[in-house]
Amino acid sequence: MSDYEKMKRTWEADVEKTTQRFPERKEKFQTSSELLIDRLYAPDKENDTYNEKIGFPGQYPYTRGIQPTMYRSRYWTMRQYAGFGSAEETNERFRYLLEQGQTGLSVAFDLPTQIGYDSDDPMADGEVGKVGVAIDSLKDMEQLFDQIPLDKVSTSMTINAPASILLAMYIAVGEKQGVAPSKLTGTIQNDILKEYIARGTYIYPPKPSMRLITDIFAYCQENLPKFNTISISGYHIREAGSTAVQEVAFTIANGMAYVDAAIEAGLEVDQFAPRLAFFFNAHNQFFEEAAKFRAARRMWAKIMKEHYGAENPKSWKLRFHTQTGGSTLTAQQPDNNIVRVTLQALAAVMGGTQSLHTNSRDEALALPTEESARIALRTQQIIANESGVADTIDPLAGSYYVEALTDEIEKEANAYLERIQKLGGAVQAVEEGFMQREIHSAAYEAQKRMEAKEDIVVGLNEFKVDEEIHADLLRVDEALERSQIEKTKQVREGRNEAAVEETLSNLRNAAKTTENVMPHIVQAVKQYATVGEIANILREEFGEYTGM
Amino acid sequence: MKPIRVLIAKPGLDGHDRGALIIAQALRDHGMEVIYTGLRQSALQIARAAVQEDVDVVGLSSLSGAHKSLFPKVVQALKDEQAEDIPVIGGGVIPAEDIPFLEQQGVKKIFTSGSPTDAIAIYIKQLFEGGTVQPPKKIAHIGIAVERIDDALPFYQHSLGLSLEAVEEVESEQVKVAFLALGETKLELLEPLSEDSPIQTFLSKKGPGVHHIALEVDDIQARLEQYKQQGVRLIHEQPKTGAHESQIAFLHPKAANGVLYEVCQPKE
Repeated sequence: MSDYEKMKRTWEADVEKTTQRFPERKEKFQTSSELLIDRLYAPDKENDTYNEKIGFPGQYPYTRGIQPTMYRSRYWTMRQYAGFGSAEETNERFRYLLEQGQTGLSVAFDLPTQIGYDSDDPMADGEVGKVGVAIDSLKDMEQLFDQIPLDKVSTSMTINAPASILLAMYIAVGEKQGVAPSKLTGTIQNDILKEYIARGTYIYPPKPSMRLITDIFAYCQENLPKFNTISISGYHIREAGSTAVQEVAFTIANGMAYVDAAIEAGLEVDQFAPRLAFFFNAHNQFFEEAAKFRAARRMWAKIMKEHYGAENPKSWKLRFHTQTGGSTLTAQQPDNNIVRVTLQALAAVMGGTQSLHTNSRDEALALPTEESARIALRTQQIIANESGVADTIDPLAGSYYVEALTDEIEKEANAYLERIQKLGGAVQAVEEGFMQREIHSAAYEAQKRMEAKEDIVVGLNEFKVDEEIHADLLRVDEALERSQIEKTKQVREGRNEAAVEETLSNLRNAAKTTENVMPHIVQAVKQYATVGEIANILREEFGEYTGM
Repeated sequence: MKPIRVLIAKPGLDGHDRGALIIAQALRDHGMEVIYTGLRQSALQIARAAVQEDVDVVGLSSLSGAHKSLFPKVVQALKDEQAEDIPVIGGGVIPAEDIPFLEQQGVKKIFTSGSPTDAIAIYIKQLFEGGTVQPPKKIAHIGIAVERIDDALPFYQHSLGLSLEAVEEVESEQVKVAFLALGETKLELLEPLSEDSPIQTFLSKKGPGVHHIALEVDDIQARLEQYKQQGVRLIHEQPKTGAHESQIAFLHPKAANGVLYEVCQPKE
């Protein structure tokens, strides 16, 4: 039997097994003309390039996707990032989105929470509840997930420097609902390197930050085996102005740094690597974006297998979430953004994403209104249910253009990886500002091309109209900051202060040694110690990062 | 002359500094000295940095929605440091309806999303070099509306003795033009190609005669931004392609005592 035949048979056996657990959505897929749609289209004879570079879905190197049946069995998870104001308001939006058919939650926290400040900290002034929900203590977290069963819903949390604290609160809320930690599913972003590079919500210097991350890896391996311990994010790198190649290269370089750190901390690669998740952007250039996801998947598989010697196929699979590109949206003619988002979402689906957030049309102006958020979700539902693009696996495979782009993105990104390895790895490269400089120069070039009209942005530098002021924007109530401060004050007054002191002092002692801090953080949040109090203990022990 | 010094600052906790960094770079390319504070600056830190660095202007960037609280605090902190003469400008994700409030709080100017970096640079330059506007280089041509070019040409060619340089049709304006060289300038005869042509409108209203005066400029885009900033009413805010592939735009006659001016930048 030829190699090709063997690979094909393995895939067919995989399909057999998978469909027993996850049957396909339909008995028979067909077009409007009643033409039958095959599960997969592939070369009909021996083809070495195909075997080596592309292969079958659910098989190394996963160019065609990580599952053997992909969207024939289940669509991607539609997961809209949401959060603003108070926990009660956000809880209401969550329940609305779930009612509308959303299949997973994604929490946006406000900046003070993301940087480890309580709402009454002077640094939080003016920022409480603005870009996400304000969480100070377990009390807020209980309200955030009120009437949302944590054993039924998976939750993604965009939280990085204080990831351990919010994860601990999630565990505590689960326990209050009677859900054991081992049943919890979801993702914490927990990717500090891209915060130094592009997003800015760092607290501690790189070294102790990496330790907090590997502490979480170790803790979750034992206690939350179904939770994704990190979401290694290219999204924000791209938003900061990188190219598609840089997005892939820097994200994978960061991923390698986390794998290195975990191995250094004594963890087994095949134990933690299956829980690593990724997060990419989707911009407008349709084919390049689709090819980018395929290239990233192939690169990661090779790196995990060949460089790290991982043996568990789950360690080779790059699972990723996608969000459409916020920075591609325009404040001018905001309804045009619906079209941009559709193209970007389609590219993500063509690239085989596991979950997707579609941006709302008004996000270049403010947080989305309920109506805009609904249109964004409907965009995904239309792609899934009406377009037919999910009825066969990886339909772009074999396109001369897409395969060439996939190869070239891989090649260029590998060249970056070599440069970063020469600098001593991603942590070193970040500290030296290498990635930051590369991204800034790409961003500046793009701005100049746009201003010279070499790049056309519809409605911005061409096809303009005189516009009315867009008045229908979501506003966060300015009174929220005061009521949130009041709420946290009451929590402090009502808790057992001695128990809080004790758990915080245990945490401090653990931070001084190499003991895992996670169990102590879980104990502290259960006593209603606040995000700011816990983060401050670690600030005192670890120091603060002050930028380049 | 001493270069303009600018402090670009990120107040509050927002970590998105792509815009701030691009503006800093663009202003440097315009010959300014730019100091960037980095992230998470308090109002007091920004005011003190402005004083210490002896800057001429402070530019704030915020994308977190906290501008209504943060920007006025910077204005106040500058006052407290006896530096209220340093103008504060701002940008980021700022809904247009917040602008009047911010201006009333002492922020001099807000540039919203999509503002070209050139416009920001020109605005800053004007704050300090307001009196030194570059005049146009010359009269590029004088436009004369005629019913038919063929009927008008004999006077210009035979009586005045001018030589005909070129005749071409400008699709976008529905007009046929004939250029006649005259010293360093030209006369441009304009014949309407259809009822929709602006020249036809002019002829119907006023009859044949002088239609417009065209002024040659460098960098038409920057020039239009500058006129706009000064409140000069424009017919075209963006240049478009005219005869000989030059970039052209018209100013509104109400801005110039009833004269229709065109600014044009010849193709390089």
